[in-house]
Amino acid sequence: MRAIEALVTELARLPGIGRKTAQRLTFHLLQQGPEESSRLARALDTVATTVRACAECGYVAEEERCEFCRDARRDAGLICVVEEAASVQAVERSTEFRGRYHVLGGRLSPLDGIGPESLRIDSLLERVRGGGVREVILATNPSMEGEVTATYLHQVLAGEGLRVTRLARGLPMGGDLEYVDGVTLAHALLARQDIVG
Amino acid sequence: MHLDRIVLRGFRNLRDLDHLLPPEGVVFLGPNAQGKTNFLEAIGYPVLFRALRGATDAEVTGFGGPGFRLEAIFHDGDRSRTAEVTYTAGNRRKRIMLDGAPVARLSEAVGAWVAVAFLPRDVALAGGPATERRQYLDRMLSLASTDYLRALARYRAALAQRNAALRQGQEPLARAFDAPLAAAGSEVTALRLRWVAGAADRFAEGFASLGEHGPTGLSYRTDAALADPAGWADALQRVRNRDLGRGMTTIGPHRDDLVLTVDGRSLRDFGSTGQLRSAAIALRLLELTTIEEARGVPPALLLDDVFAELDSDRQARLADRLLAQRVGQVFVTAPRRDELPAGLQLPIWSVHQGVVTGAA
Ligand SMILES: [Zn+2]
Repeated sequence: MRAIEALVTELARLPGIGRKTAQRLTFHLLQQGPEESSRLARALDTVATTVRACAECGYVAEEERCEFCRDARRDAGLICVVEEAASVQAVERSTEFRGRYHVLGGRLSPLDGIGPESLRIDSLLERVRGGGVREVILATNPSMEGEVTATYLHQVLAGEGLRVTRLARGLPMGGDLEYVDGVTLAHALLARQDIVG
Repeated sequence: MHLDRIVLRGFRNLRDLDHLLPPEGVVFLGPNAQGKTNFLEAIGYPVLFRALRGATDAEVTGFGGPGFRLEAIFHDGDRSRTAEVTYTAGNRRKRIMLDGAPVARLSEAVGAWVAVAFLPRDVALAGGPATERRQYLDRMLSLASTDYLRALARYRAALAQRNAALRQGQEPLARAFDAPLAAAGSEVTALRLRWVAGAADRFAEGFASLGEHGPTGLSYRTDAALADPAGWADALQRVRNRDLGRGMTTIGPHRDDLVLTVDGRSLRDFGSTGQLRSAAIALRLLELTTIEEARGVPPALLLDDVFAELDSDRQARLADRLLAQRVGQVFVTAPRRDELPAGLQLPIWSVHQGVVTGAA
């Protein structure tokens, strides 16, 4: 059936979901009846129409700026730079971080055609040059590309007259920040180090 | 290492099979192009999870078939293990399971089962381009050391990214990959150098054991500075313009070579066919001892039509060397019984038109 096939195909495009899981989800929804499916459809539709990238930091927002950028109690002089919005949630979940964020929207990967121009690096520079930023914490993922992105950002930020730090070493290599356990992540943030060189 | 049982579905031209294998090994006898080498290829496949002779998985799939499935049940010392591969031709997806559990990364499964193959094309190890010898080093050292396997994977990833940036003319972006390239590349270089230092005498001994004469040399051609991560910055700086111009990284272990000499002259350039063949076999013997020492168990031996290529004197010497006091399992292919060395005491199975007979 075309309708079922279309839904399976869409679900299978989501990260971590293979064809088999997509089929199972589809049949689960069918079994639950039309109410359940419609609720899911409405939730998806609402997200698609109301959620956008924060104009300041790139995190998800329902208004011009996200909850963190609007929160005056958050330290605007401290910016934690992450690859994806999911990392923001990981940092929020497990640390006492009270600064603001900057979501790059990925990491440098020339093989995938992702160069500096594909990431939100210019807007990071703009924020830094706007004044008031004391420290930028580079919290890209502990993978080769994440490390390289941090190295690159450090070069870009050098000479802007602020402190640039990197999460402490010891995070499991190759993973995403969102899968690092909370205690380890909290420690890596607390023990962050100045980048030299 | 002992292969206890193999299950094949849709593999090359072989009729689907499920066979128990004798602990001492098997001789596969049959005319060419009937499938005996394919059987050997199946036994060698779960070492690196790719075909021994460089064939793609699509080529390994039986003609017009939907894919293939291979299950190997083997012993590593006292430990019984299972490696399974399912390849689907339609979406070119390969699923690998080790001991019943799917593996997230290929590297987790590499080397669980270990076999060393002697192939007719091995003469290219001695007489062919440098890439043959780099593949030889990478295969052997990856199976002998997980440190090497990990460093090599990191090196290849950094190299691919750096080369992509160079192709795109993005110099600062390429430069950002210098650090991971140096970290992994120095490790690969140092481990190769360490192996070569201990291997030269053994290479000479193996070469001589095949009845060859003359002092031999085995050395590694590289920029010695590259064994130290601190040596990379200057070295990369010197070639930066060249790298940008060519759109690729022009120094590092992916450009090095293993240099073989006899009487002080390059084997590759001056060796006779017989010498090249002996040198290639000596390299395989080295691979065997390197892996056996690292793993503590002898790898299985796969000998594809190796004896037919040799004169009777070399044949006897090799058979003596390989089979005399071995405890490992040996799989041999040969077109005819009279091309097997005398004294080879193994069960004989015949392979005709993809059908294997003689199995218990
Ligand atoms: Zn924001």
